[in-house]
Amino acid sequence: MFSSSSSDGLALPRVQCPNHPDAILVEDYRAGDMICPDCGLVVGDRVIDVGSEWRTFSNEKALKDPSRVGDAQNPLLNGGDLTTMISKGTGAASFDEFGNSKYQNRRTMSSSDRAMLNAFKEISTMADRINLPRNIIDRTNNLFKQVYEQKSLKGRANDAIASACLYIACRQEGVPRTFKEICAVSRISKKEIGRCFKLILKALETSVDLITTGDFMSRFCSNLGLPKQVQMAATFIARKAVELDLVPGRSPISVAAAAIYMASQASAEKKTQKEIGDIAGVADVTIRQSYRLIYPRAAELFPPDFKFDTPVDKLPQL
Amino acid sequence: MENYIKAVSVSRHFSARVCRNIVSTVNLGCPLDLKFIALQARNAEYNPKRFAAVIMRIREPRTTALIFSSGKMVCTGAKSEEQSRLAARKYARVVQKLGFPARFLDFKIQNMVASCDVSFPIRLEGLVLTHQHYEPELFPGLIYRMVKPRIVLLIFVSGKVVLTGNDTQYTKPQ
Repeated sequence: MFSSSSSDGLALPRVQCPNHPDAILVEDYRAGDMICPDCGLVVGDRVIDVGSEWRTFSNEKALKDPSRVGDAQNPLLNGGDLTTMISKGTGAASFDEFGNSKYQNRRTMSSSDRAMLNAFKEISTMADRINLPRNIIDRTNNLFKQVYEQKSLKGRANDAIASACLYIACRQEGVPRTFKEICAVSRISKKEIGRCFKLILKALETSVDLITTGDFMSRFCSNLGLPKQVQMAATFIARKAVELDLVPGRSPISVAAAAIYMASQASAEKKTQKEIGDIAGVADVTIRQSYRLIYPRAAELFPPDFKFDTPVDKLPQL
Repeated sequence: MENYIKAVSVSRHFSARVCRNIVSTVNLGCPLDLKFIALQARNAEYNPKRFAAVIMRIREPRTTALIFSSGKMVCTGAKSEEQSRLAARKYARVVQKLGFPARFLDFKIQNMVASCDVSFPIRLEGLVLTHQHYEPELFPGLIYRMVKPRIVLLIFVSGKVVLTGNDTQYTKPQ
């Protein structure tokens, strides 16, 4: 009787319950069985568990995880790592007479994917710096794998492609990060990331949605420590400003920064342009320019139920 | 997108498409001694360590030419196809006067850059479809790569449009 894991649907014969051939088998991994849900018959036994040996509680593999079966299998991303490695010995028998370890050569594992694994590590490091969740990292890894297999961007630095994939993944998940934020965690320049970004979009034939001002509000406002009221007001101001087309041609980040400035100046927590510029990655002259554009119609931009600490006519005029 | 292009052609306020720059190449048909040319000709600069060509300029029509030792030449800066051809002929004449058997083979226009103005502000967010790239963070203009006449348009919010990449003699009818 052949067992097949649910992800492997190639030429292997599928396991079926003899009484219920259409039933989808339930995998009981604790006992290593595959059970038919209709009649309870154990159809496949001794299914090999490909998970890790015991639970580890760190986000990434801890250095001293003495797992005897190696890492959890990652079939989606690697080319199926069925390789043999000789690990460093621990006992006394693994050292020969001079003190050198026998079997020094660790036997490079899947050398073709070594660059890809390196890139995954880099992606993980970058994402960790800005606290990105696992789903974005997974999406980035998938994107990188697709781009890598296509080989159309082979000449570019892997780090640049990784950074651009991270940027695209954040956009696709609906939580875009500005190029400057990605720059801050990567060693690649914004220009290069931008170039790779365009190339990847062309290579994978996908497109991304336009960024809007609201995508960044929660992040910027919480970084500045502004209360929810101010954040909601800033979101409203920015959206209204774009609707009324008061700020044609301005990058949404600049508009968002100016809106935050206006909202914070009208409330009790006033933030300076410099602080907002630091968080948003825009120059304070840019905030000043955008602010000048929205200032004349400030009264209509505020939400109707906003409590003004500083009334609209006393807002600073720059 | 095509509607916008049609709107451009019918709008009364639309200002004429102005050709700003033409790049053309021509083969003079004989190997050249760049050092000799650089020393003899006026308005020529030659810095072999930096770039392997003589950079020559003429005032009328105001253009710049890069002349290579193989005899090939690139002429840039002209404002119309005719002017480009004329300028290339003038450069060939200069080279001829210095004693080289220059000819005028394979004159081809490589690129034409033009700009025009539709005079109304454009909402770029509404234009983004498939062929376009619009990244406000990277560049304030929308990049539209038109397929049929293979050109690239840079469309800006102010209503100014830059057309480039046109290498056929035929200028695109707006």
